[in-house]
Amino acid sequence: MTAQHRDAGVPDASPALDDPPAIAGVGMTEFASADDRPLVDLLLAAAERAIDDAECDASTVDSVHVGNMAAEAFNERSGLANALTGSLGLTGVTARRIENTSASGASAVQSAFEAVAGGHSTYALAVGGEKMSSADTATATEIISRITHDREYEQGVTLPSFGGLAAAAYLDAYDADRTDLARISVKNHANAAENDYAQFRKRIDVEDVLDSPAVASPLRLYDCCPTSDGAAAVLITAEPTTDAVSVAACEGATGTHAVADRTDPLEIESVRLAGEYAYETAGFGAETIDVACIHDAFSILEWLEMEELGLAPEGEAWRLTRDGETALDGELPVNPGGGLKARGHPLGATGVSQVVELVWQLRGDLPEGRAVDGAERGLAVNVAGFGNNAVCTLLEADA
Amino acid sequence: MTQLLECRECGRRTYYEKRRCLECGGSEFDRVDAGRGELRSVTTVHVTPEGVREPNRLGLAAFPGGANVVAQLDEDLTIGDAVRLQGGNDLRVTDDGTLRGARLVAAE
Repeated sequence: MTAQHRDAGVPDASPALDDPPAIAGVGMTEFASADDRPLVDLLLAAAERAIDDAECDASTVDSVHVGNMAAEAFNERSGLANALTGSLGLTGVTARRIENTSASGASAVQSAFEAVAGGHSTYALAVGGEKMSSADTATATEIISRITHDREYEQGVTLPSFGGLAAAAYLDAYDADRTDLARISVKNHANAAENDYAQFRKRIDVEDVLDSPAVASPLRLYDCCPTSDGAAAVLITAEPTTDAVSVAACEGATGTHAVADRTDPLEIESVRLAGEYAYETAGFGAETIDVACIHDAFSILEWLEMEELGLAPEGEAWRLTRDGETALDGELPVNPGGGLKARGHPLGATGVSQVVELVWQLRGDLPEGRAVDGAERGLAVNVAGFGNNAVCTLLEADA
Repeated sequence: MTQLLECRECGRRTYYEKRRCLECGGSEFDRVDAGRGELRSVTTVHVTPEGVREPNRLGLAAFPGGANVVAQLDEDLTIGDAVRLQGGNDLRVTDDGTLRGARLVAAE
């Protein structure tokens, strides 16, 4: 919490929920480098899978919350929420689009969660999606780098640039080495290899990472998430069945817009605050988390966010990676679906797909070799920009 | 811009203009010379947007008063080296013209 935050008496977290909203159903498209379907068709496919999973009819949905970053730029279109409700055959519902750059998905989940928690909606559908393949790499890079502060933009700073600066500082500050960083991508690819919905269903080794083209030193191509097409959906309800996964908290927090305005380059204040607020609302803390979906747009972010969220002590997250503790069969599996690195990162879909993954894990839907054994509490963190904003969601299996 | 904004209330400095001080919430600032900073991190970016030099070497420098700056780095400097802000550089070519501003250079 910053000094001005304290002085203003801003409440840290939403009030605890006696009867938390729950997840009625989830679904997503298979993430891909290019999916031929138009964006609205992707949103529709994910929405229908979530509604089918809930074993209910689309007519039960009374609010629709669409997460998308840049359909105007990538696809030359807007009006996504209304197009989706039209395709679903819904009229008379509340519908809106939510934009929070690369955390648009989690913000859509938060919007749906708040609609249910606040008594405004009984069945709130959050759908996130992005179709990035319509733009060439240079255009996509420009669209994404445009979210930076003007003083950063003029320097030609891109998102991977911040990843490179953070990684260089981390490797300088602690005993981790370049190989340890590569192990994050190796682990996330191994998880994605078993995930039918992942963009890269391919195992890689440390050498593959170290031999891949340089992007922003010390980061290489295999430290960076791809561009992707895809959509994901979750249906949140106030009237769950007895075995439904509940949403114990969904909290957002902003950080500074200019990354360098943080006092420490290894600090992502938005992630720390979103985590603190979420733990407070949920009434349980980092030590009780069994599985986590972390926003690994760049390998280094997995460590920084784990430390901000209290999932690893400061300067120690790399040891958990090296020791295999974050692997699928480790003490704290991180990114069991492959993360942004290997499941893919269709911007507005990502935050929703993290919740989909956690629900599958907590419901015990997944086969051996894909499942985290005995997981009861899950954490997802979706980050906008390089920490401009973060949303932390905590899920709990039916006790 | 080679100057920093210093909060009149608490003295916290920043390179990035805003209405309120991040530290104390103060709303009045004075422009002060950045002085001598220290490089906290460096990266060489090999994939850059159109109109930006490639590769683009960047530095993250900490200046007195809590002001950190990310800017283009002109020389082969490393973490721990002393730097200063040097104005008047062509940083980026856009459709609306060339953006000019500060780079990080070695401080004597």
